[in-house]
Amino acid sequence: MTVMRKYLTTHHIIATILWFFAIAASAQNEPQQQQTLMPGEKPKPTKYVAIEEQKQHLVLFQGFTLSVDAYGPVAYAVSDYGTLEAALRLNLKNTFFPIVEMGYGKCSKEDFNTKVSYKVNAPFLRVGMDINMLKDKFQSNRLYLGARYGISKFKYDVAGPAMKDPIWGGSESFSMNDIDCTSHWAEFIFGVEVKIVKNFHMGWAVRYKREIASTKSDYSKPNCIPGYGYTTNSTCWGGTYSLIFDLNWGMKKSHKRGVNIELRDIPQTEINTNNQQEENGEGKQNGTEGGEKDGREENDEPTKEEGGETL
Amino acid sequence: MNRMIRYKVWACVWVAMMLLAACYSNNCPLENTVTCNYAFYDSEGNAIAYGDTITVTTLMPGYKTVYIYRKLGNLTVTKEERDEALIEQGYTETVTQQRRDTVLINQKYGASSIKVPMSYFHEEDTLVIAYKSISLRDTIKIQHSSFPHVELPECGTYRFHSLRNITATDAAIDHIEISNPTVNYDGNTNVKIYFNGVAE
Repeated sequence: MTVMRKYLTTHHIIATILWFFAIAASAQNEPQQQQTLMPGEKPKPTKYVAIEEQKQHLVLFQGFTLSVDAYGPVAYAVSDYGTLEAALRLNLKNTFFPIVEMGYGKCSKEDFNTKVSYKVNAPFLRVGMDINMLKDKFQSNRLYLGARYGISKFKYDVAGPAMKDPIWGGSESFSMNDIDCTSHWAEFIFGVEVKIVKNFHMGWAVRYKREIASTKSDYSKPNCIPGYGYTTNSTCWGGTYSLIFDLNWGMKKSHKRGVNIELRDIPQTEINTNNQQEENGEGKQNGTEGGEKDGREENDEPTKEEGGETL
Repeated sequence: MNRMIRYKVWACVWVAMMLLAACYSNNCPLENTVTCNYAFYDSEGNAIAYGDTITVTTLMPGYKTVYIYRKLGNLTVTKEERDEALIEQGYTETVTQQRRDTVLINQKYGASSIKVPMSYFHEEDTLVIAYKSISLRDTIKIQHSSFPHVELPECGTYRFHSLRNITATDAAIDHIEISNPTVNYDGNTNVKIYFNGVAE
């Protein structure tokens, strides 16, 4: 009986939590219902600004982000190959994200059956672009598709057990060091990114990689390319788990941690309406200053209605 | 409705990605026997199938003791073990030391090409070609360098060779040339042997 009561209680709590989140989530999709006004209170001005129109108000330069990958070191700890990498990303209109990724890859393995070992430690570079696929470009969470071109110039070592000549006889072990190689590859990326706190985001990405070309050597071909991974197949999969920090380089103080909006692009009629509202003392409720969107600093995910108030 | 379709599309993409990731194959070569490939031509350079039975042996390091039996009016007999019966028949025995050898190709008839392995750790290989229709033999000397090759660690180690020089005697061979100095498992013709005579 006690167990039954406990079981019911636990499930009731979970159901209540799920119901609460479901209500909260569905509320975002439902149209705003008419507010009940107290006597003497005037209705808040609401104005729908189309998403396409909102995009026009976005300033091209939205700042830089610096990110580090948490997956690479973990991968090296539990397998033969891993990376240590960081990326600098430019935010253009919250839509296009040109990115430069630099890192250091390390691989050290020995095949169980053949006893042939392979070692490489070298830096790599990737350049490319991510595109935010979400319709609402104002929110901090992103779902993106991207592409990269990667290059690494490295030297690798291969060593193996003694080779035995089956006809003429004799045996000799071999060790080939510092074999020069330059590899090029392409990556296609699908990833998500969510805001954790003010300037800090986290996100993961899945990467589909294809080797374009590698320098050929008489002695061997690279088994593992820093930044790319294993060359056992002509394509491979990879992943990153990024810790992302917003940088405030070149951002106006009022726009830090927010979305940079171009006021002059907004139609004159909207500004006149807002001015009129401010004169009526309604704009002061948000503490707006000089028409800028300081209200967004408190809430970085402005709704359509907020956009109307700020504008 | 649109949202449902979008979810289904994403689900299909993910399933496809998982299936792709589940497939495993490697790039190890299927043809992985490293041999030096000899192609046969007539003296004018036409590809031929050589109309005689040939046996190819190679000299190996070290020497062996051989017993040679000769008798007037009979063929000379060479054996690696002493044969008392031949002595009783009146053969004279000569004991001598010869280079060790081994047969690489045994009595091949009508061949248009042959594939011969190469030594891993010697600078020069010696091939002896014996013909059925003529008593003379040809000796081919190949100078080469060898180096290990690792395609991928899981594929193991191979020994590739680079041909430097090749010479041959002229019992049945008109001339010989290197056509591709890299000996690997690609199957390309490495050496062209031009035999005496012209194919009809």
